[in-house]
Amino acid sequence: MRNRYLIRILYGVLRFAISVLLLSVLVFTVSRAAPGDPLYAYYGEQVEKMSAQQQERAREKLGLGEPIPVQYMGWLRNAVHGDFGISYKYKMDVREVIADRIGNTLLLGGLGFAVIFVLSLLLGLFCAWREDKTADRVICAVGTLTSCIPEFWMSLFWILVFSVWLDWLPSSGAYSVGGENSLADRASHLILPLAVVVAGHLWYYAFQVRNRLLEEVRADYVLLARMKGMSGKQVLYRHCLRNALPSYLSMMAIAFPHILGGTYVVETVFSYPGVGTLAYESARYHDYNMLMLVSILTGMLVILGNMLAQGINEYIDPRIGVSKGKGERV
Amino acid sequence: MKRKFPLFSLTVLLAIAAGCFGCGLFLSTDPAYMDLRNCNTAPNHSFFFGTDSLGRDIFTMIWYGGRASLLIGFLAAFFSTLLAVLVGSVSGYAPAWMDGILMRLTDLVFSVPGLLLTIFLQATMGKANVYSLSLAIGLTGWMSMAKVVRTEVLQLKSTEYVLAAKCLGGGFFHLLCRHLAPNFIPSILFMAVMSVRNAMVAEATLSFMGLGLPVEAVSWGSMLSQAENALLSRAWWIVLIPGIFLAGTIVALTNLGNYMRKSINKRHSNL
Repeated sequence: MRNRYLIRILYGVLRFAISVLLLSVLVFTVSRAAPGDPLYAYYGEQVEKMSAQQQERAREKLGLGEPIPVQYMGWLRNAVHGDFGISYKYKMDVREVIADRIGNTLLLGGLGFAVIFVLSLLLGLFCAWREDKTADRVICAVGTLTSCIPEFWMSLFWILVFSVWLDWLPSSGAYSVGGENSLADRASHLILPLAVVVAGHLWYYAFQVRNRLLEEVRADYVLLARMKGMSGKQVLYRHCLRNALPSYLSMMAIAFPHILGGTYVVETVFSYPGVGTLAYESARYHDYNMLMLVSILTGMLVILGNMLAQGINEYIDPRIGVSKGKGERV
Repeated sequence: MKRKFPLFSLTVLLAIAAGCFGCGLFLSTDPAYMDLRNCNTAPNHSFFFGTDSLGRDIFTMIWYGGRASLLIGFLAAFFSTLLAVLVGSVSGYAPAWMDGILMRLTDLVFSVPGLLLTIFLQATMGKANVYSLSLAIGLTGWMSMAKVVRTEVLQLKSTEYVLAAKCLGGGFFHLLCRHLAPNFIPSILFMAVMSVRNAMVAEATLSFMGLGLPVEAVSWGSMLSQAENALLSRAWWIVLIPGIFLAGTIVALTNLGNYMRKSINKRHSNL
């Protein structure tokens, strides 16, 4: 029995490692196949004034002269030792650049996730309880609206309303000049981006909870419990919710990297100094080392989230693990 | 719960589409014409929706720009549906090892944030135009649909009529077109509609960030790429008007898609 778990864990680690490796190959190859010159990221407009030899030497210096497989092996050798190279744009160790900003992204994404985690469950429960009543219909309509409006436009809209017209909240950055340590200042900068992150994702999850509960409410055991004299509310909380929770948890395991990785549009519009902006910048300016580390970090999160979700499912329903390969995993 | 046919959404959608593709009939203005004396004018009776910072008439641009937005939405959705059907049905039909490889590959593509992948692909194809952008968006939006197709095919391939067709010597494409596709199309139809929507959102987001269509190629997204400067000059019409058209189309598409989704709650609640 013990052995089986060990094998399972080893298998999981192996799968994780292979996925990350493949991901790095994919990103490495695709990013380098893209036309565009990373020298611009490093030297800016000066590149145009450089002679062909100077450019050649600069390329040599950055290790860009060799064929892609050789470059990749070099990158991999360094990466295994924890060295991910320097950012061409910031001319600093990529790890330092990311370390400066990851806190901001974790704050925005983590808070967003926490709010979504709680609210989607409550909202889903409420809607399932009031199924097809006015309140449910109104929430469904509003939810559909907020979840399908593009995030960047929602950000713009709220900046227009709250920063430009009403002048209540700041429209960009993570803090004002000199306000780095003031909690109130940071919070006021966080409200709008956080609101967009939550509004953009909340309904998707709440709707899943609602649908899952609506399936549950139609089961026969509900009838039995009602017959025994439990009130509808009691059945919903004690039985239906409990049955719906596992699938909710596994959904949220996938949601975490999704929400965290999905902050980059919001970060860009609000010029919020996070990792998302870095990802977008690095793709645009061919800052290869930065791009690699950022995409590997996000990819790792996503793969971990997926594996966690699968683990939760298997733990709850052991049949999934047994019918390997051709099981109904969607 | 009985679903009402989303007549209003369909009307809105058709009206916008008709306006965009038929705008040459009722508009005499040129969307690229820059009236430099009238930059950033608020909506008035000669410029119904105002002008942008380059002096272009927004009312004209909305209709011409809608062409690009809608075209990209539909083209990209077409590409992703095609790819999803191919990958999904091969994966569901093929032996377990191939299915495993294909699904791991799908998961891998899934694990890169979609927009970032689109940016890469667009970069490998060079300067963006309507077709290359549709292809880039289409190639990144097929994964979840492929999984649904695979599940459906897994169930279908063990049915007797598929087995019978196979015994009579039907090849893979024959089976796919005659027996499998007609059965799984209803369950991916709403996803196809949703992918039109997703593609339009992706196009707008990319063009807004300056990575999609350039400013001179008018689309709702590229019109919004001026929005950040417009916020500073309080030119609300540049921010709001293209956005409202975009959001309206997207909401209408969502309603339509939701209507096509297979109804799950046919029975009465026991609560």
